[in-house]
Amino acid sequence: MFRGFYTVGSGMIAQQRRTEMLANNLANANTPGFKAEQSSIRSFPEMYMSSINTTRIPTKDGFQLKGLSPVGAVSTGVYMQETLPLFAQGQLRETELTTDVALIDGLLPVDNETGTQGAIFFRLEDANGGEHYTKNGNFTLDPSGYLTNPQGYYVLDNNGQRIALQNDDIEITQEGVIMNGENAVATLGISFAQRPDALLKQGNGMFKTEGGENLQNANAVAGVTYSMQQGYLEGSNVDAAQTMTDMMTAYRAFEANQKILQAYDRSMEKAVTEIGRI
Amino acid sequence: MLRTMSTATNTLNQLQQQLDIIGNNLANSATHGYKSSNAKFHELLYQQFNNDKADTAPRQSPLGIRYGSGAVLGQAQMNWKVGSLQTTDRQLDFALTEPKQYFTILMPSDGGEQTVYTRQGNFYISPVANGQGMLVNSEGYPVANSEGLPITFADDVTNFTVDAGGMLALTHANGTVERVELGITVAQRPNLLQRLSGTNFGLPANLADLGVTQQEVMTDLRGATRNQVSLEGGMLEASNVNYEKEMTDLITVQRSYQFNARSVTMADQMLGLINGIR
Repeated sequence: MFRGFYTVGSGMIAQQRRTEMLANNLANANTPGFKAEQSSIRSFPEMYMSSINTTRIPTKDGFQLKGLSPVGAVSTGVYMQETLPLFAQGQLRETELTTDVALIDGLLPVDNETGTQGAIFFRLEDANGGEHYTKNGNFTLDPSGYLTNPQGYYVLDNNGQRIALQNDDIEITQEGVIMNGENAVATLGISFAQRPDALLKQGNGMFKTEGGENLQNANAVAGVTYSMQQGYLEGSNVDAAQTMTDMMTAYRAFEANQKILQAYDRSMEKAVTEIGRI
Repeated sequence: MLRTMSTATNTLNQLQQQLDIIGNNLANSATHGYKSSNAKFHELLYQQFNNDKADTAPRQSPLGIRYGSGAVLGQAQMNWKVGSLQTTDRQLDFALTEPKQYFTILMPSDGGEQTVYTRQGNFYISPVANGQGMLVNSEGYPVANSEGLPITFADDVTNFTVDAGGMLALTHANGTVERVELGITVAQRPNLLQRLSGTNFGLPANLADLGVTQQEVMTDLRGATRNQVSLEGGMLEASNVNYEKEMTDLITVQRSYQFNARSVTMADQMLGLINGIR
């Protein structure tokens, strides 16, 4: 069988997955706090090929020497190995709503091991007490007066408590202190992820840790600075032009793989109709 | 089936709805007392694909790849900022200059009476039986006083004046002055209100299920709290729709629509290529 036949097949699947991911980026070009996905496409483990050959030595009994001679490494295809969110800051957009907050990255320490920069998030809590993290600061008040995200996840303060408010006549300072008139009600809790790539992306712009353990409070980490801006939201960091270009590239790569697949098919056709003719 | 297509169509559908919201805002950019509403996008669910169970290659993210499936509109939020004031010099035009204060209107509903809230303050006199007049809004529904009752008076009023505290003084033909307190309430949680029409808001029908009382959502200003009322006569509050913002949003949404439609085309071409393999 032709080895490359499955290689191009895997190439088509990988490029298809890439277009799917890019289409989702494009779909979320207007989603506040959205972090564009990036993909890494990786080659399958290479196979080392050698040819089996025999050497006949002209002796009386016809002595045969069997041996392996190396041919080289051959790749057997590609797959989409990772989808990694790009944690770069999106542009700020004004919304005029008091319950909208943009979280602006200040200085964030770089992880020595991986060389990636850390990331900060708002802390959310689900009904069961599990913590989730988001960059989308589009919040609201639920009927009981708790500050929540639109899906009803509670926004937590820096002590890990839910934030109860009288009404949405609030002012949020740059440090994240929520003021109701003259009184400070709570401080918005910010969490710091040293290795943001290790977070799992869920729906609604939320991330969670793989093992379910909570991230550390950003105020407790040395060297983390941030600020907040009320009445603004952090826009999506998708670059529509770049995404469109990437999508076209992926599409053409898909097409190229398809062409090779057809070429293999034609070779097989020849094998059947011409070589195999009786 | 290609996920690209479903991701893009999910989003197209939602973009269409955002266009509807923007269209409604633009249509009401000249409606007195109109509050603009806006909706933000959110990501749809993410799906985990474990496409490389045997993969031992070094990686930064948790195992598998995560795919999004498009964007969805979250909550529609009301912008309760005060619109600009327009002087009309008409005696029965009133404008509330503090945000979140509302006039109360008694609207007949099936099997009773429903209180609706509005900031559209152009009122009129409608003659009722026995030579009496009643203060009504532009739709002909009675305006309530601070007791929640319709305001009726002998229909020979020569002059109407209002003070900043919402006290309406009616000077009759014989020189006697009658004083009526206009019913004003404060919306503590404007986002809990249900928009009945352009400028009319009502309480949600499932208020009891939400575990809140009417007083917690809409606080009537009576007695001592009356001094919070801030009302101007001879003026109307213009719509708070920001024309430029709506237009830019319109352009962004339209372009996003094109981008997503493009994703569908691309997915279609890819399906064509798959069909063309053989």
